[in-house]
Amino acid sequence: MSRRKAIQAKEDVSANLIAMIDIMFLLLLFFMLGADMTQRELAELVLPNADQVEQEKKEKAAEDEFRSTVNVCHVPDSSSMRCVINAKGGVCREANHWMYEIRSEEFSMETIKDKINELAASAMEAEINATAGKRMSKRKLSIRADKFAPYGYVQQAITYAGMAGIYMIEVAAAKPPVEKKP
Amino acid sequence: MAGSSSDEDNPVAINVTAMVDVIFCLCLFYMCSFKFKQLEGRFQSWLPLDKGSNSGAAADAVIQEIRVAMYWNEATLATVRKFLVRTVENDTELQQLIHDQHADNLKLGHDDVPVIIDAEAKVPWHEVINVINMAKRENIAKIEFALGMPPGTK
Repeated sequence: MSRRKAIQAKEDVSANLIAMIDIMFLLLLFFMLGADMTQRELAELVLPNADQVEQEKKEKAAEDEFRSTVNVCHVPDSSSMRCVINAKGGVCREANHWMYEIRSEEFSMETIKDKINELAASAMEAEINATAGKRMSKRKLSIRADKFAPYGYVQQAITYAGMAGIYMIEVAAAKPPVEKKP
Repeated sequence: MAGSSSDEDNPVAINVTAMVDVIFCLCLFYMCSFKFKQLEGRFQSWLPLDKGSNSGAAADAVIQEIRVAMYWNEATLATVRKFLVRTVENDTELQQLIHDQHADNLKLGHDDVPVIIDAEAKVPWHEVINVINMAKRENIAKIEFALGMPPGTK
């Protein structure tokens, strides 16, 4: 009688990657849709907190074609300039360490005046305003300043805006996270 | 045999290893560059159309203006706040002072008295926002920014 050969079952131990690829595609899609590579009007800075601030709906903000955002932020560190105070989260009061930024374009306190005049002039109202006695600008100026930015920079921007005929000023603040009650 | 795939079912084998590697790299890139935005809103502070920078019209003697002056102390790197002539120690006290003054103005029938923020140039912006926030808590719609330096500035 011949010996029977032992039947050896071949086990396929290779991992099935199909489910993992599905998850990876979903993750990729999520992060791609969430990424924004366009030129930012809203600079990366830490806004001061204010619980009374009202959030504007995105649709309404998008419709506002005459809104310009002025960011007041600390000059970024470079090879020639590094602010230790700002790096440690302190209050930097060096005059040349703060700047204005509009659509990624940087301005100093001297050059911002011309830019604000240019923004105001590009959106003037057709009629003379009865209360002001002169033509005002339709431009809405939204000022976003870092929480440690000197008030003088914001004050100067508001002053230049008033001189240029911009009377619709907004100041931005961050809505603090809601504290969970125990 | 059930569950097994024969060569007839998958005539062309696709090696997906390279694709998974690329997807991993892309995921890593987007995960590293992803940032959650902070929720932000805006306070409207429209400039008055009937006032100029030189018009310092005196307030009615009966109506007491709500003026908050802020000074920057270089030595302590802190902001000193004054409500009219009174030095304010903390936020609660300032909130109460604003509330009381606003209530007095309402009793006189004046609901449009603004909060005037008179701050030195070096005062941090978050201190100013804090005062605006306090004014909004009291439902004071008008906020004014004084030009020039606050009284008593050296």
